[in-house]
Amino acid sequence: MAEDVGTRNAAAGSGDPEVLSSRRTRMKFRGRAVIIPPYVWLLAFFLLPFLIVFKISLSEVVVAMPPYRPTFGDPSEWWGALRQLTIDNYLWIASDELYINSYVESLWIAGISTVITLLIAYPLAYGMARAPAGLRPTLLMLVILPFWTSFLIRVYAWIGILKPEGLLNQLLIAIGLIDEPLLIINTHWAIFIGITYSYLPFMTLPIYASLDRMDHSLIEAAADLGCPPLKAFWTITLPLSLPGVVAGCFLVFIPAVGEFVIPDLLGGSRTLMIGKTVWLEFFTNRDWPVASAVAVVLVAILVLPIVIFQRYQARAGG
Amino acid sequence: MAPMKSLGSIRRDFAPWSDRDAKPYILFDGVTKQFGEFKAVDDLTLTIYEGEFFALLGASGCGKSTLLRMLAGFEAPSRGNIVIDGEDLAGTPPYRRPVNMMFQSYALFPHMSVEKNVAFGLRQERMPRDQIAERVDQVLRLVKLENYASRRPDQLSGGQRQRVALARSLAKRPKVLLLDEPLGALDKKLREETQFELADLQHQLGTTFIMVTHDQEEAMTMADRIAVMDQGKIVQVATPEEIYEAPNSRFVADFVGNVNVLEAKVLRAEGGRMSLEAAAGFTIETVNAVDASPGQTVFYALRPEKLRISGEPLTGSNVVAGEVWDIAYFGHVTSFRIKLDSGEIMKVAMINATRVSPLQLTWHDRAWLQFDDDAGLVLTR
Ligand SMILES: Nc1ncnc2c1ncn2[C@@H]1O[C@H](COP(=O)(O)OP(=O)(O)OP(=O)(O)O)[C@@H](O)[C@H]1O
Ligand SMILES: [Mg+2]
Repeated sequence: MAEDVGTRNAAAGSGDPEVLSSRRTRMKFRGRAVIIPPYVWLLAFFLLPFLIVFKISLSEVVVAMPPYRPTFGDPSEWWGALRQLTIDNYLWIASDELYINSYVESLWIAGISTVITLLIAYPLAYGMARAPAGLRPTLLMLVILPFWTSFLIRVYAWIGILKPEGLLNQLLIAIGLIDEPLLIINTHWAIFIGITYSYLPFMTLPIYASLDRMDHSLIEAAADLGCPPLKAFWTITLPLSLPGVVAGCFLVFIPAVGEFVIPDLLGGSRTLMIGKTVWLEFFTNRDWPVASAVAVVLVAILVLPIVIFQRYQARAGG
Repeated sequence: MAPMKSLGSIRRDFAPWSDRDAKPYILFDGVTKQFGEFKAVDDLTLTIYEGEFFALLGASGCGKSTLLRMLAGFEAPSRGNIVIDGEDLAGTPPYRRPVNMMFQSYALFPHMSVEKNVAFGLRQERMPRDQIAERVDQVLRLVKLENYASRRPDQLSGGQRQRVALARSLAKRPKVLLLDEPLGALDKKLREETQFELADLQHQLGTTFIMVTHDQEEAMTMADRIAVMDQGKIVQVATPEEIYEAPNSRFVADFVGNVNVLEAKVLRAEGGRMSLEAAAGFTIETVNAVDASPGQTVFYALRPEKLRISGEPLTGSNVVAGEVWDIAYFGHVTSFRIKLDSGEIMKVAMINATRVSPLQLTWHDRAWLQFDDDAGLVLTR
């Protein structure tokens, strides 16, 4: 009996390589199994739809239902259908300034909006992180609170605020700051305001998280070594909150590039962001293949910052 | 009172605290720090002299870190003043104080290499680059981390991090260095080496050190003076020898080293001699100048190594008998616990002066203890 226990212990300890290796494989498999569901999810809800859109972007527009050709119906005709796919839609996009302009406009509007959002969100997050511990959950709640009403309604409400006879102009005139109403609605400024307002929480929360995680004694240590507060902010606080800043910027920039509702409601007809272009192609021109091609190019443009972002995260984590 | 040998510090020539004309360098004057209702530091007055190695000793939570943090400027005293070199520090922000602190939590900058961490303070004072490099090199060598200069703190072990924190606080060569448990995470050998080099450095640079430690041996070997703290108050400030041989209370006697405390009643007290009736049922004759009147209850503190133990019956004064309750062999000493006939336990330490002890005592043997009339100390509190 005692001998029995002995051998079993030896195997469990560092002895029998076979037992060990089989256990290791099992552990490895179990470890991998945990990450299968997210992959299945991504496959089903991101990759498959994307492939469908990609396929449509290689099709030809026709007046039919569905409004493109070829379709992959009968498996025996797949080879023929495959040979009908074309990159004409991409050549079309590349040749038409309208599309290129709307990509460029989307990118710079999203870029400027991201910077404005950052400039507002950082002090906000900083204030929250330095607030008394008892107050912080309430402040967090307040940041998230707007999500409790519909996004569409909130953007719509901005029309009432920004229009010439709207609340903002009334207020500014009432306090004597201006005589004539400002023209904000239907300009880029309205879009900046709309995006900044709508995406502020996405910037604030990651910055808050990184500031909150920071050990306050680091600031004390910096002061102790002769570093005045403002300099300590630049050399200690800001670098340590950079992962939050980067995450927030991408969380705002990427959806803002493809934003449709805000430019449509607040930007008027003169701004043509890419989201609106896709919408026009789909619903006004009923040209699904070109609309799909525009969307695919947008994804391609956004993949670059996403890859940079992930690289950065991996580096910050490791 | 029998002539007590002078109880000086390690550096016999350095004793500004006994010089009436010496100017205090650091002065805590009636300092209180309150967190809500709780007094972390309670009406504390303390003077520290220039170039002194001062140790703060006390149980966890007694206010040691709070005291240092007030000196460094991270907490403002609720009451009282802190003065360094004649200048009241109230209102001086931490970054303008001539004080550097090594944090108990290390507080290393996680996004900077070891080298950058150590150089941080020097760059604040715009020291030329080559001098910074030289100084960084020097302090890193001191803490034996010269090969780790380019690592980030999260790539270091706990003990290595502690040494980086130490190096960073040393780099600026401040006038006053505050060390909050500077060596706690180091192994015994490295700890002793670093202790030695710290003391060396301190003597070389003439920096005033204030060190918090849990380790009384560390405090004893390194410090010029030790302050024993309890619940925000200082119980005694004295040289290591004095703290050990002349504690002013049962708390200090018990906190520093091993001690037997016997409750006793004063029988006679005259001419520097006292006779006590121990509650354990024997008479103690002692040379002690304590203000106590006959009938008063006092405490007699007796260190284990000041007792002699014998297996043969002893006679004379200051003798008490009991039964061997426990024996622990430590190599250089053997420690006995003797259960007196009254039920009290006495600790006795016997130096093993020869390889084979002439004393062949074993468990449950009868043993006799004896001590000289200047072995113990009468305490009234
Ligand atoms: N910011 C604070 N708010 C409330 N209480 C505090 C604060 N800082 C310290 N205290 C309390 O003050 C007391 C003294 O704390 P301090 O950190 O000075 O202890 P310490 O002697 O350094 O202990 P240790 O040896 O464990 O480090 C503790 O009871 C602690 O809980
Ligand atoms: Mg402490």
